[in-house]
Amino acid sequence: MRPTLALTVSLALSSFAVCAPLVPAAYAAGASDTDQERAARWQEIAKSIFGDRKIEPTDTLVTLDTPKRAEDAALVPITLSMPERDKIKSVSLVIDDNPAPYAAKFEFGPAADTRELKLRVRVNNYTDMHAVVETTDGKLYEAKQFVKASGGCSAPMGMSDEEAMKGMGDMRMKFADAHPDKPVAATLMIRHPNFSGMQMNQVTREYTPARYIDKLTVSAGDQTVFTMTGDISIASNPVINFSFKPDGKPIQVAASDNQGGRWTHSFPVPSQTN
Amino acid sequence: MILLRGTAVIAAALCLAAAEPADSPTNVPEPPGLYAGPQRGYTPPTLRGAKVIDGAAVAALLDGPDKPVLIDVAMRERKPANFPEGRLWLPVHPSIPGAVWLPNAGAVPLPPEREALFFQRVADLTGGDRAKPVVVFCHVECWGSWNAAKRLVEKGYTAVHWFPQGVEGWQDGHETRNLTEDAAWKAAAPAER
Repeated sequence: MRPTLALTVSLALSSFAVCAPLVPAAYAAGASDTDQERAARWQEIAKSIFGDRKIEPTDTLVTLDTPKRAEDAALVPITLSMPERDKIKSVSLVIDDNPAPYAAKFEFGPAADTRELKLRVRVNNYTDMHAVVETTDGKLYEAKQFVKASGGCSAPMGMSDEEAMKGMGDMRMKFADAHPDKPVAATLMIRHPNFSGMQMNQVTREYTPARYIDKLTVSAGDQTVFTMTGDISIASNPVINFSFKPDGKPIQVAASDNQGGRWTHSFPVPSQTN
Repeated sequence: MILLRGTAVIAAALCLAAAEPADSPTNVPEPPGLYAGPQRGYTPPTLRGAKVIDGAAVAALLDGPDKPVLIDVAMRERKPANFPEGRLWLPVHPSIPGAVWLPNAGAVPLPPEREALFFQRVADLTGGDRAKPVVVFCHVECWGSWNAAKRLVEKGYTAVHWFPQGVEGWQDGHETRNLTEDAAWKAAAPAER
């Protein structure tokens, strides 16, 4: 059984997730050919997403934190850090070896604070992961990490589709302590199976059609924090940690999925303390 | 009373476990023939008539004098029927370098013409030598490779190796190569995609 809106539940025992392989790294070989293949694949993906635009490496504009080896390939926690808020327009997350590599794009609005953004994704193969930021002057910069996990896109949820869809669109929001004139950290939890379309129902042996959140907009009052374009690589029951600049007005969340589901919720921001 | 109820629950759980070998991480019995359950699930530790090997043994075979034929029967990634047009779809299949990829050749049932082609491809790859070492694999916890290896044992191959950890058990310490589907296997594939 997969927990739904719990934040920090270990899923190491979830029934069918194909997780850490059982073999120790006893024969580390020089991985040059494999590395070349990975680099070539990234070139192909980058070209199809960003065209001929040049992407430069960066150590500062964006960093990508991932587990080296994921406990659950269907639920891999990712942290994107972009400390220079004023320079960042958007960030794209690419999981190179997933069949649908373009996992998510976040476009930031005036109420955003970009220093830390977290989400949980599915990882299908040992893969490079790329975060690409677009800066306000229109340039692209990339950070890269290698993640060991496999089988995440097709891992069944361990419950019936009906059960997985129960309460679909329900949301919760948690706010960290607010301080005057400081950005507020928040955690948005959405109940939604985010079916990848690659998961086979173990009983009927039929594939559950893809049903995933494709658009998510978070606003503080009438100011946008971010708009996310999502894909089947986002884990079920999405949890997104972000920060925003509070102005006393409620946080508005609007989510839609690829099958026409639409949900909106409003969350009052706790008053600021000193 | 509580004790009794507890015993009943345990007994019920044991019955369930016996009925659903794929749900148990330990003591999965070998089915007498091909396994017709879902491909994804816990597999037995053994395969009668075949040798069960790990990644180190695969590497040793590859370094040895009598190079094995590597047969990868992992299923291809299925593009969701309702996946949006224009959104990037670019499946990739990393595997053991040199392996021949016959997707889903461990399916049960397999249409007779597909099964015949499977045997034909293995015969081609082994040069008709049924004593030639063959390594069959897919992913960890995947019955496809168990079934495909079982088919070869029953066909009379005498050096069948089953590598149950599959690609996951290989890629940790070894080079991988992105494979494309075996051309003959793909050309004759029914419109199942």
